[in-house]
Amino acid sequence: MTGTVDWLRRYGALLRAAWLQDLQYRASIVLWLLWGVTEPAVALGIWWAIAADGPVQGYARADFARYFFALMLVNQLTIAWDSWYLDSWIRDGELNFRLARPIHPAHEAVAENIAYKARTAGMILVVWLIVAAVWPAVRLPFGADRWALTAAAVLLAAALRFFISFATGLLAFWTTRATAIMELHAGISLFLSGRLAPLALLPPAVARVAGFLWFPYMLAFPVDLLTGTVHGAALVQGFVGQVVWLAVWVGAYRLAWTRGLRKYGAVGG
Amino acid sequence: MPAIVTAERLSKTFRVKVRDPGLKGALAALVRPRYRDVHAVRDVTFRIEPGEIVAFLGPNGAGKTTTLKMLTGLLYPTTGRVEVAGFVPWTGGRDFKRRIALVLGNRQQLVWDLPPEETFLLNRAIYDIAGAAYTERLAELVDLLDLRDVLEKPVRQLSLGERMKCELAAALLHHPPLLFLDEPTLGLDVTAQEAIRGFLSQYRERHGATVLLTSHYMQDVTALASRVLIINRGHLLYDGALDALVARIARIKRIELVLGPGDGVTAEMLAGFGTVKSFHFPNAVLEVRRDEAAATSARLLAALPVADLSIEDPPIEDVIRQAFAQGLGEDP
Repeated sequence: MTGTVDWLRRYGALLRAAWLQDLQYRASIVLWLLWGVTEPAVALGIWWAIAADGPVQGYARADFARYFFALMLVNQLTIAWDSWYLDSWIRDGELNFRLARPIHPAHEAVAENIAYKARTAGMILVVWLIVAAVWPAVRLPFGADRWALTAAAVLLAAALRFFISFATGLLAFWTTRATAIMELHAGISLFLSGRLAPLALLPPAVARVAGFLWFPYMLAFPVDLLTGTVHGAALVQGFVGQVVWLAVWVGAYRLAWTRGLRKYGAVGG
Repeated sequence: MPAIVTAERLSKTFRVKVRDPGLKGALAALVRPRYRDVHAVRDVTFRIEPGEIVAFLGPNGAGKTTTLKMLTGLLYPTTGRVEVAGFVPWTGGRDFKRRIALVLGNRQQLVWDLPPEETFLLNRAIYDIAGAAYTERLAELVDLLDLRDVLEKPVRQLSLGERMKCELAAALLHHPPLLFLDEPTLGLDVTAQEAIRGFLSQYRERHGATVLLTSHYMQDVTALASRVLIINRGHLLYDGALDALVARIARIKRIELVLGPGDGVTAEMLAGFGTVKSFHFPNAVLEVRRDEAAATSARLLAALPVADLSIEDPPIEDVIRQAFAQGLGEDP
């Protein structure tokens, strides 16, 4: 029991430090938020124009609106910047003091994720509620079970994206191009995770490839869950996919962490 | 009492990429990368007893910091055995890390944008320091390091000296029995250096901590350390008391004279007693063989109007420079 209390206290302190730091950079938070909003807004604009003459493969204008609003929220709740932090920690030697402390550096990263997500997703939610008040198309019917399932899927997606980002960032132990690899991953995920279009609209061959990889479980699955377009067997398959890929990426992270520390040059002081 | 630090035949080899200069070299390195082994630390063995203050000395790239990083578990040694505070550093986990503090002169743990007290609070939670102990220890550190006026300023607005003091406070809140300090006075002005030295010796006296430090500044070493480990090109050249090193390396002593009133003493006359290093009446400095220093002093006192005389070791910087130049392999 004291163990749990200690961890709560540690996370409390890490979150406090993360929030206080974020408050110093209000302008950059707004910029990141704008970036997070702009991309889905642009995508929505394009699909809105395309769907002017009628539904595209079953997606009407209102469906696109709901999809991209849900995407905006889920993306903010699951996005992870950790590979960029890790890259600089490893290459500039800032990992050193973190390794000397009796807490795994990942906890600091998790706390920063929680701090960031709580704030930006909160702001998106407010924006969504305001828009929904005047524009019925983006309103979502409330269903306790669906919200609960969505919450679980969002949590799994956030964990998945965190471990992908963390494990990729750890590549900085071996290469100076870890962030470039992450950029490449982000580029691919633009198509395969549903950021530009619902996966149902992808060419069948591309959608099949995506289905074998982790990308749909990062974003598209929880978004579809939230907008109510996934049911039955697809729902179970979605959760199974999330859990399996999470396990794979946790494994990748553990491997990179233990191997990387052996390789570590502890640059600088 | 068992040693608090044991290093046996410790070695660390880094594999680094090498390339020739210019575009051709860059292309060749891209197609066929070549590697070279850099032996940062070779076969280093030593023990440190609880309560000692030990300084690692050596030029840049000698292997001091690499050794320190192996002792703190940041680096895996290539070969050899290390035990620190009863743990193998890189498998010691949280229990090991609670027993050490690591302060890196050029990398800081203070949260840059926040006042130092926020880092202290963070460390209080990370190290599970109870409320009362935290208050008491912080008060002590604030007092010893004179931090009252800086606690509420954001770290980025602090001077280098103030930052280092806060770094030390952050690193010592959990009262580690073992301190590893890498260049704790790097880049600080003389006043700040003295403040840090004064603090370290006071802290050690009060809490009996063992301290291992690396430094470029001899004053750090002479003021703090009773024992030095001299490392050059990865090899441990010397392990022992600073005085003994001076006695071993420095085959000369300096006799500093203040001559009495009256004239007639010339440089030529002084040269009969030893090598004249400087002579500006009434002050003169002679260098004589170590084993003859006492006898020469007696002769000087008898022959010349001497108002004051002292026998000194040569400056420690000279001794160390000589040690690196000549090596320490043979006894004098």
